Amino acid sequence: MRSLTFLLVALVACGTEDSRPATVEVISLEILAPACGAPQCHSTSTNQSGYAFDTLAVSKLALKQLVGPGGGGRNKNLMEVLTSTSGKLMPPDAPLDPADIKLIETWIANGAQGL
Amino acid sequence: MRATIFILAALHAVTAARPASAYPQYQLDSDKTCTGCHLAPDGGGILNENGTNTAESTAWHPGDGGFMYGMSKPSWLELGGDVRAAAGFVDPGVSSAAAYPMQAEVAASAHFSGFSIHAIGGLRRPQDQGSALHALWSREHYVMWQANPDDHEGFYVRVGRLLPTFGLRLAEHVVYTQRYGGYPLYGEVYAVAASYVSDAFEVHAAGFIHDPIASAEEHGDGGALYAEARVGEHAAIGAEGKYSASDDAHRTYGGVTGKLFLPGPKLQLLGEAQVIREDFVAAGGDKVTQLAGYALASHPFGGGFLLDVGAGHFTEDTRVKGLFRDCLDAQIHWFQTSHIEWLLSARVELLDLGSHTNGGYLLAQLHYRL
Repeated sequence: MRSLTFLLVALVACGTEDSRPATVEVISLEILAPACGAPQCHSTSTNQSGYAFDTLAVSKLALKQLVGPGGGGRNKNLMEVLTSTSGKLMPPDAPLDPADIKLIETWIANGAQGL
Repeated sequence: MRATIFILAALHAVTAARPASAYPQYQLDSDKTCTGCHLAPDGGGILNENGTNTAESTAWHPGDGGFMYGMSKPSWLELGGDVRAAAGFVDPGVSSAAAYPMQAEVAASAHFSGFSIHAIGGLRRPQDQGSALHALWSREHYVMWQANPDDHEGFYVRVGRLLPTFGLRLAEHVVYTQRYGGYPLYGEVYAVAASYVSDAFEVHAAGFIHDPIASAEEHGDGGALYAEARVGEHAAIGAEGKYSASDDAHRTYGGVTGKLFLPGPKLQLLGEAQVIREDFVAAGGDKVTQLAGYALASHPFGGGFLLDVGAGHFTEDTRVKGLFRDCLDAQIHWFQTSHIEWLLSARVELLDLGSHTNGGYLLAQLHYRL
């Protein structure tokens, strides 16, 4: 029982502050692909609302539209749907982790490099 | 606005549940193998005669459990199908009404001696730039050879589009070990799969390539292995492994499963734990380790009821403090007839032990088996 408790505590407590690189590759593959790029949602086949996130190549195309090179222009579109307080919130089924949202914000603030 | 959200949610088709009819909750209570009730060696899809009998014995008011209530058909042909829809409330941080037309599929299996051809087809979400016909597709289609066609034990080989056998294979795809692990919704691939199934143990191995035409959850090519051994009369343990490599990422999954049936309280306990190692080759080789676990307790009661209580954990990236979520699930199934199942399911999802945005859902689901 003590071992199990230790394991659970270790599981919960593991990790440090977020040191993931805020790059378009990390954001696309580690955050947007699993959360948004399911086959029935924003995948290459369905391309819902004109956006797909299931591969790095198509995710970059979507982010060009939603953020724009340099992080200017339309960047509110992406953050609006990720942080909406209405029914527009995406993903629609389970919350995106705030650490992931913060990493995306950082990437945009740094000029949305890589598009 | 609410009406718009509702309509949008309704159009968010085919999202909520795995197209499946497998209930591992019954495995150790009655038949020891999936082939006791299903044609496929790893369960799901069309029921065999014992499966329809089990559906009848489980239901409140059974009726004829056969396809279309016993419709006559040639002896070499088995037919099936499932229609599912759900409605309720979903809260990914903001609560809203939602409806999900989840599944509308028919299945057929034509068997000739030890060989059989299986296909499951139906409706899917309209495809980008596709005609109306693109809403029709076949999720599974394969040729199977079975060493002992009249027995539930033996050797099976399948070639075609299928979902490689991996883990507990619960009907609800939102189970963390499936959603984030090696058995995701729409994870079908083109595979050569071999299975050996017996009452004492079973082994399933598959080599696969991803679907080159339609987007699937699996973008890589690789292999999967699942082995399970019965321990005594009412317990089983399993081990699993999977590897896939795509242009973007190489993923390795490893895990264990456990099953225990307690005859006294009629309680079946199921558990699965996975470690997932992702090497994002397209992201400069960034490597991520994830942890996924799920535990479920199931208890049948009353006239055709089944209560499930489950708990899950998912660590998205072990390098980042607090980047994990836990869930508590409760489900009540009511098998009104051998064809009609009602399901009320609820989830509470906590991010970083509730210190951030939390989520959940409350959904009522209707499942009609043809």
